[in-house]
Amino acid sequence: MSEEMQPSAAPQSADGRSTTFQPVTGEAEHYSGEALLVSAYALIWVVLLAWVGLVWRKQGSLDARLDDLEREIEKADAKSARP
Amino acid sequence: MARARFRRQDAVFFVLLALTAITFVVEIFFIFLKTPTEARMGIVQKVFYFHVPNAYAFYIGAVACFFGSIAYLVRPTDARDAFARAGASASVAFGAVVLITGPLWGAKAWGTLWTWDPRLTTMLLSFLIYLAYIVLRAFAGDGAAERRFAAALGVLGAANLPIIHYSVQKWGGQHPTVITGSGGGLQHPDMKIALGLGFLIFTLLAVLLIWTITRVELGRNRLRRAEEDAIDLGLDRRTEA
Repeated sequence: MSEEMQPSAAPQSADGRSTTFQPVTGEAEHYSGEALLVSAYALIWVVLLAWVGLVWRKQGSLDARLDDLEREIEKADAKSARP
Repeated sequence: MARARFRRQDAVFFVLLALTAITFVVEIFFIFLKTPTEARMGIVQKVFYFHVPNAYAFYIGAVACFFGSIAYLVRPTDARDAFARAGASASVAFGAVVLITGPLWGAKAWGTLWTWDPRLTTMLLSFLIYLAYIVLRAFAGDGAAERRFAAALGVLGAANLPIIHYSVQKWGGQHPTVITGSGGGLQHPDMKIALGLGFLIFTLLAVLLIWTITRVELGRNRLRRAEEDAIDLGLDRRTEA
Protein backbone atom coordinates (compact mmCIF):
# COMPACT_ATOMS: atom_id res chain seq x y z
CA MET A 1 0.00 0.00 0.00
CA SER A 2 1.42 3.40 -0.91
CA GLU A 3 2.21 5.88 1.80
CA GLU A 4 -0.38 8.46 0.78
CA MET A 5 -3.17 5.83 1.02
CA GLN A 6 -2.45 5.00 4.68
CA PRO A 7 -4.94 6.45 7.13
CA SER A 8 -3.70 9.40 9.08
CA ALA A 9 -3.17 8.71 12.81
CA ALA A 10 -4.11 12.26 13.69
CA PRO A 11 -7.79 12.79 14.59
CA GLN A 12 -9.68 14.46 11.73
CA SER A 13 -11.82 17.44 12.21
CA ALA A 14 -15.35 17.60 10.78
CA ASP A 15 -14.04 19.86 8.01
CA GLY A 16 -11.09 17.55 7.20
CA ARG A 17 -12.96 14.26 6.56
CA SER A 18 -13.20 12.98 3.00
CA THR A 19 -16.26 13.96 1.03
CA THR A 20 -15.49 12.18 -2.27
CA PHE A 21 -14.24 8.74 -3.39
CA GLN A 22 -11.57 8.91 -6.08
CA PRO A 23 -10.93 5.90 -8.34
CA VAL A 24 -7.39 4.52 -8.59
CA THR A 25 -5.98 5.25 -12.00
CA GLY A 26 -3.20 3.51 -13.90
CA GLU A 27 -3.36 0.20 -11.97
CA ALA A 28 -4.47 -3.25 -13.07
CA GLU A 29 -8.03 -4.27 -12.12
CA HIS A 30 -8.30 -5.93 -8.70
CA TYR A 31 -10.50 -8.84 -9.87
CA SER A 32 -10.67 -10.57 -13.21
CA GLY A 33 -14.01 -9.70 -14.78
CA GLU A 34 -13.88 -12.95 -16.74
CA ALA A 35 -13.50 -15.05 -13.56
CA LEU A 36 -16.33 -13.16 -11.84
CA LEU A 37 -18.63 -13.66 -14.83
CA VAL A 38 -17.86 -17.38 -14.93
CA SER A 39 -18.35 -17.64 -11.15
CA ALA A 40 -21.75 -15.98 -11.44
CA TYR A 41 -22.70 -18.37 -14.22
CA ALA A 42 -21.55 -21.38 -12.17
CA LEU A 43 -23.48 -20.10 -9.14
CA ILE A 44 -26.70 -19.92 -11.15
CA TRP A 45 -26.39 -23.63 -11.94
CA VAL A 46 -25.58 -24.51 -8.33
CA VAL A 47 -28.66 -22.59 -7.13
CA LEU A 48 -30.80 -24.32 -9.77
CA LEU A 49 -29.56 -27.75 -8.67
CA ALA A 50 -30.11 -26.86 -5.00
CA TRP A 51 -33.69 -26.01 -5.96
CA VAL A 52 -34.07 -29.49 -7.54
CA GLY A 53 -32.84 -30.93 -4.21
CA LEU A 54 -35.40 -28.83 -2.36
CA VAL A 55 -38.22 -30.09 -4.61
CA TRP A 56 -37.08 -33.65 -3.85
CA ARG A 57 -37.19 -33.00 -0.08
CA LYS A 58 -40.63 -31.40 -0.30
CA GLN A 59 -41.91 -34.38 -2.26
CA GLY A 60 -40.50 -36.63 0.48
CA SER A 61 -42.57 -34.89 3.15
CA LEU A 62 -45.65 -34.96 0.87
CA ASP A 63 -45.16 -38.72 0.40
CA ALA A 64 -45.04 -39.17 4.18
CA ARG A 65 -48.31 -37.23 4.56
CA LEU A 66 -49.84 -39.35 1.80
CA ASP A 67 -48.76 -42.51 3.70
CA ASP A 68 -50.67 -41.23 6.75
CA LEU A 69 -53.71 -40.33 4.66
CA GLU A 70 -53.81 -43.75 3.00
CA ARG A 71 -53.55 -45.43 6.41
CA GLU A 72 -56.47 -43.38 7.71
CA ILE A 73 -58.56 -44.23 4.64
CA GLU A 74 -57.79 -47.94 5.09
CA LYS A 75 -58.87 -47.70 8.74
CA ALA A 76 -62.11 -45.94 7.78
CA ASP A 77 -62.70 -48.51 5.05
CA ALA A 78 -62.21 -51.38 7.50
CA LYS A 79 -64.55 -49.70 10.01
CA SER A 80 -67.30 -49.18 7.41
CA ALA A 81 -66.97 -52.80 6.20
CA ARG A 82 -67.64 -54.12 9.75
CA PRO A 83 -71.30 -55.18 10.28
CA MET B 1 -47.79 -35.19 11.76
CA ALA B 2 -45.88 -37.34 9.30
CA ARG B 3 -42.14 -36.95 9.06
CA ALA B 4 -40.25 -37.83 5.90
CA ARG B 5 -37.84 -40.71 6.45
CA PHE B 6 -34.42 -40.44 4.87
CA ARG B 7 -34.28 -43.53 2.69
CA ARG B 8 -31.59 -45.11 0.55
CA GLN B 9 -33.04 -43.58 -2.61
CA ASP B 10 -32.72 -40.13 -0.97
CA ALA B 11 -29.03 -40.80 -0.28
CA VAL B 12 -28.43 -41.91 -3.89
CA PHE B 13 -30.33 -38.88 -5.18
CA PHE B 14 -28.36 -36.37 -3.11
CA VAL B 15 -25.01 -38.00 -3.96
CA LEU B 16 -25.89 -37.72 -7.65
CA LEU B 17 -27.08 -34.14 -7.17
CA ALA B 18 -23.85 -33.14 -5.40
CA LEU B 19 -21.78 -34.86 -8.08
CA THR B 20 -23.72 -33.01 -10.79
CA ALA B 21 -23.29 -29.64 -9.05
CA ILE B 22 -19.53 -30.10 -8.55
CA THR B 23 -19.00 -31.30 -12.11
CA PHE B 24 -21.08 -28.39 -13.39
CA VAL B 25 -18.88 -25.84 -11.63
CA VAL B 26 -15.71 -27.56 -12.89
CA GLU B 27 -17.14 -27.71 -16.41
CA ILE B 28 -18.09 -24.03 -16.52
CA PHE B 29 -14.64 -22.93 -15.36
CA PHE B 30 -13.03 -25.39 -17.76
CA ILE B 31 -15.04 -24.18 -20.74
CA PHE B 32 -14.57 -20.47 -20.19
CA LEU B 33 -11.11 -20.27 -18.65
CA LYS B 34 -9.21 -23.29 -20.03
CA THR B 35 -10.68 -24.48 -23.31
CA PRO B 36 -9.22 -22.50 -26.22
CA THR B 37 -11.39 -20.09 -28.18
CA GLU B 38 -12.24 -21.37 -31.66
CA ALA B 39 -10.21 -19.68 -34.40
CA ARG B 40 -12.99 -18.74 -36.86
CA MET B 41 -16.08 -18.27 -34.70
CA GLY B 42 -14.56 -16.85 -31.54
CA ILE B 43 -16.16 -17.18 -28.11
CA VAL B 44 -19.65 -17.99 -29.46
CA GLN B 45 -18.39 -21.48 -30.34
CA LYS B 46 -18.42 -22.25 -26.60
CA VAL B 47 -22.21 -22.49 -26.85
CA PHE B 48 -21.43 -25.86 -28.49
CA TYR B 49 -20.37 -27.38 -25.11
CA PHE B 50 -23.89 -26.81 -23.76
CA HIS B 51 -25.89 -27.12 -26.97
CA VAL B 52 -24.76 -30.63 -27.95
CA PRO B 53 -25.02 -32.23 -24.46
CA ASN B 54 -28.48 -30.65 -24.13
CA ALA B 55 -29.51 -32.24 -27.43
CA TYR B 56 -28.20 -35.54 -26.06
CA ALA B 57 -30.22 -35.06 -22.85
CA PHE B 58 -33.26 -34.34 -25.05
CA TYR B 59 -32.77 -37.82 -26.59
CA ILE B 60 -32.48 -39.37 -23.11
CA GLY B 61 -35.85 -37.87 -22.13
CA ALA B 62 -37.42 -38.95 -25.41
CA VAL B 63 -36.11 -42.51 -25.04
CA ALA B 64 -37.44 -42.61 -21.45
CA CYS B 65 -40.83 -41.45 -22.75
CA PHE B 66 -40.71 -44.10 -25.47
CA PHE B 67 -39.93 -47.00 -23.11
CA GLY B 68 -42.40 -45.74 -20.48
CA SER B 69 -45.12 -45.46 -23.15
CA ILE B 70 -44.41 -48.91 -24.63
CA ALA B 71 -44.44 -50.44 -21.16
CA TYR B 72 -47.70 -48.63 -20.34
CA LEU B 73 -49.38 -49.91 -23.52
CA VAL B 74 -48.29 -53.48 -22.67
CA ARG B 75 -49.43 -53.29 -19.03
CA PRO B 76 -50.84 -49.99 -17.71
CA THR B 77 -49.51 -48.93 -14.31
CA ASP B 78 -49.13 -45.54 -12.62
CA ALA B 79 -45.36 -45.91 -12.46
CA ARG B 80 -44.99 -46.55 -16.20
CA ASP B 81 -47.24 -43.65 -17.06
CA ALA B 82 -45.35 -41.37 -14.64
CA PHE B 83 -42.01 -42.40 -16.16
CA ALA B 84 -43.22 -41.67 -19.71
CA ARG B 85 -44.61 -38.31 -18.61
CA ALA B 86 -41.35 -37.43 -16.85
CA GLY B 87 -39.37 -38.33 -19.98
CA ALA B 88 -41.56 -36.05 -22.11
CA SER B 89 -41.22 -33.20 -19.58
CA ALA B 90 -37.43 -33.53 -19.55
CA SER B 91 -37.40 -33.59 -23.36
CA VAL B 92 -39.35 -30.35 -23.51
CA ALA B 93 -36.96 -28.66 -21.05
CA PHE B 94 -33.78 -29.81 -22.78
CA GLY B 95 -35.26 -29.32 -26.24
CA ALA B 96 -36.09 -25.71 -25.38
CA VAL B 97 -32.46 -25.11 -24.40
CA VAL B 98 -31.30 -26.67 -27.69
CA LEU B 99 -33.69 -24.47 -29.68
CA ILE B 100 -32.52 -21.34 -27.85
CA THR B 101 -28.75 -21.94 -27.81
CA GLY B 102 -28.69 -23.10 -31.45
CA PRO B 103 -30.10 -19.87 -32.91
CA LEU B 104 -27.86 -17.80 -30.61
CA TRP B 105 -24.88 -19.55 -32.15
CA GLY B 106 -26.41 -19.34 -35.64
CA ALA B 107 -26.85 -15.57 -35.36
CA LYS B 108 -23.07 -15.23 -35.19
CA ALA B 109 -21.98 -18.17 -37.35
CA TRP B 110 -24.62 -18.00 -40.10
CA GLY B 111 -25.78 -14.42 -39.74
CA THR B 112 -29.36 -15.55 -39.07
CA LEU B 113 -31.21 -16.88 -36.03
CA TRP B 114 -33.15 -19.52 -37.93
CA THR B 115 -33.03 -21.35 -41.21
CA TRP B 116 -35.24 -24.25 -42.34
CA ASP B 117 -32.27 -26.60 -42.35
CA PRO B 118 -33.25 -30.34 -42.13
CA ARG B 119 -31.79 -30.83 -38.66
CA LEU B 120 -33.30 -27.65 -37.24
CA THR B 121 -36.69 -28.44 -38.75
CA THR B 122 -36.78 -32.06 -37.54
CA MET B 123 -35.59 -30.97 -34.07
CA LEU B 124 -38.35 -28.35 -33.88
CA LEU B 125 -40.92 -30.93 -35.01
CA SER B 126 -39.78 -33.39 -32.33
CA PHE B 127 -39.86 -30.69 -29.65
CA LEU B 128 -43.43 -29.81 -30.67
CA ILE B 129 -44.47 -33.48 -30.39
CA TYR B 130 -43.27 -33.63 -26.75
CA LEU B 131 -44.79 -30.24 -26.05
CA ALA B 132 -48.09 -31.59 -27.41
CA TYR B 133 -47.72 -34.59 -25.08
CA ILE B 134 -47.30 -32.28 -22.07
CA VAL B 135 -50.20 -30.03 -23.10
CA LEU B 136 -52.40 -33.09 -23.67
CA ARG B 137 -51.63 -34.44 -20.20
CA ALA B 138 -52.15 -31.05 -18.60
CA PHE B 139 -55.53 -30.23 -20.16
CA ALA B 140 -57.18 -33.46 -21.39
CA GLY B 141 -57.69 -35.10 -18.00
CA ASP B 142 -56.01 -38.15 -16.52
CA GLY B 143 -58.33 -40.97 -17.53
CA ALA B 144 -57.27 -44.31 -19.01
CA ALA B 145 -58.13 -43.22 -22.58
CA GLU B 146 -56.07 -40.02 -22.29
CA ARG B 147 -53.16 -41.98 -20.89
CA ARG B 148 -53.30 -44.49 -23.73
CA PHE B 149 -53.48 -41.73 -26.32
CA ALA B 150 -50.49 -39.98 -24.72
CA ALA B 151 -48.58 -43.28 -24.66
CA ALA B 152 -49.24 -43.70 -28.40
CA LEU B 153 -47.93 -40.16 -28.94
CA GLY B 154 -44.86 -41.01 -26.84
CA VAL B 155 -44.15 -44.03 -29.06
CA LEU B 156 -44.75 -42.11 -32.31
CA GLY B 157 -42.61 -39.18 -31.10
CA ALA B 158 -39.60 -41.48 -30.88
CA ALA B 159 -39.89 -42.28 -34.60
CA ASN B 160 -38.57 -38.80 -35.34
CA LEU B 161 -35.38 -39.22 -33.26
CA PRO B 162 -33.29 -41.15 -35.82
CA ILE B 163 -34.54 -38.74 -38.49
CA ILE B 164 -33.07 -35.80 -36.50
CA HIS B 165 -29.80 -37.64 -36.09
CA TYR B 166 -29.35 -38.71 -39.71
CA SER B 167 -30.97 -35.66 -41.34
CA VAL B 168 -27.58 -33.98 -41.89
CA GLN B 169 -26.14 -37.03 -43.66
CA LYS B 170 -29.30 -37.65 -45.69
CA TRP B 171 -30.35 -34.17 -46.74
CA GLY B 172 -27.27 -32.02 -46.14
CA GLY B 173 -27.95 -28.53 -44.84
CA GLN B 174 -25.84 -26.04 -42.97
CA HIS B 175 -25.76 -27.67 -39.55
CA PRO B 176 -22.16 -28.56 -38.54
CA THR B 177 -21.14 -32.22 -38.23
CA VAL B 178 -18.20 -31.88 -35.85
CA ILE B 179 -18.95 -35.08 -33.96
CA THR B 180 -18.55 -38.03 -36.29
CA GLY B 181 -17.94 -41.74 -35.98
CA SER B 182 -14.38 -41.28 -37.23
CA GLY B 183 -13.16 -39.34 -34.20
CA GLY B 184 -14.72 -35.91 -34.56
CA GLY B 185 -13.43 -32.52 -35.56
CA LEU B 186 -12.45 -31.05 -32.20
CA GLN B 187 -8.86 -30.01 -32.82
CA HIS B 188 -7.68 -29.56 -29.21
CA PRO B 189 -7.68 -32.10 -26.33
CA ASP B 190 -9.31 -29.55 -23.98
CA MET B 191 -12.21 -29.20 -26.42
CA LYS B 192 -12.77 -32.95 -26.23
CA ILE B 193 -12.58 -32.95 -22.41
CA ALA B 194 -15.08 -30.05 -22.21
CA LEU B 195 -17.52 -31.88 -24.48
CA GLY B 196 -17.04 -35.19 -22.63
CA LEU B 197 -17.71 -33.50 -19.28
CA GLY B 198 -20.79 -31.87 -20.83
CA PHE B 199 -22.17 -35.27 -21.84
CA LEU B 200 -21.55 -36.62 -18.33
CA ILE B 201 -23.23 -33.64 -16.64
CA PHE B 202 -26.29 -33.58 -18.82
CA THR B 203 -26.71 -37.35 -18.49
CA LEU B 204 -26.72 -36.90 -14.70
CA LEU B 205 -29.06 -33.93 -14.95
CA ALA B 206 -31.47 -35.82 -17.20
CA VAL B 207 -31.51 -38.76 -14.77
CA LEU B 208 -32.13 -36.44 -11.80
CA LEU B 209 -34.92 -34.54 -13.53
CA ILE B 210 -36.66 -37.66 -14.85
CA TRP B 211 -36.41 -39.26 -11.40
CA THR B 212 -37.76 -36.16 -9.65
CA ILE B 213 -40.66 -35.66 -12.06
CA THR B 214 -41.55 -39.38 -11.93
CA ARG B 215 -41.74 -39.12 -8.15
CA VAL B 216 -43.93 -36.02 -8.30
CA GLU B 217 -46.26 -37.70 -10.82
CA LEU B 218 -46.50 -40.84 -8.67
CA GLY B 219 -47.39 -38.66 -5.67
CA ARG B 220 -50.06 -36.95 -7.73
CA ASN B 221 -51.54 -40.33 -8.72
CA ARG B 222 -51.57 -41.52 -5.09
CA LEU B 223 -53.31 -38.32 -4.02
CA ARG B 224 -55.95 -38.72 -6.73
CA ARG B 225 -56.67 -42.30 -5.63
CA ALA B 226 -56.80 -41.26 -1.98
CA GLU B 227 -59.32 -38.53 -2.89
CA GLU B 228 -61.45 -41.06 -4.81
CA ASP B 229 -61.33 -43.51 -1.87
CA ALA B 230 -62.25 -40.72 0.56
CA ILE B 231 -65.26 -39.78 -1.58
CA ASP B 232 -66.35 -43.46 -1.79
CA LEU B 233 -66.22 -43.68 2.00
CA GLY B 234 -68.13 -40.44 2.45
CA LEU B 235 -65.13 -38.71 4.04
CA ASP B 236 -65.05 -35.86 1.54
CA ARG B 237 -67.45 -33.66 3.53
CA ARG B 238 -64.88 -33.46 6.30
CA THR B 239 -62.27 -32.07 3.93
CA GLU B 240 -64.59 -29.44 2.45
CA ALA B 241 -64.57 -27.29 5.57
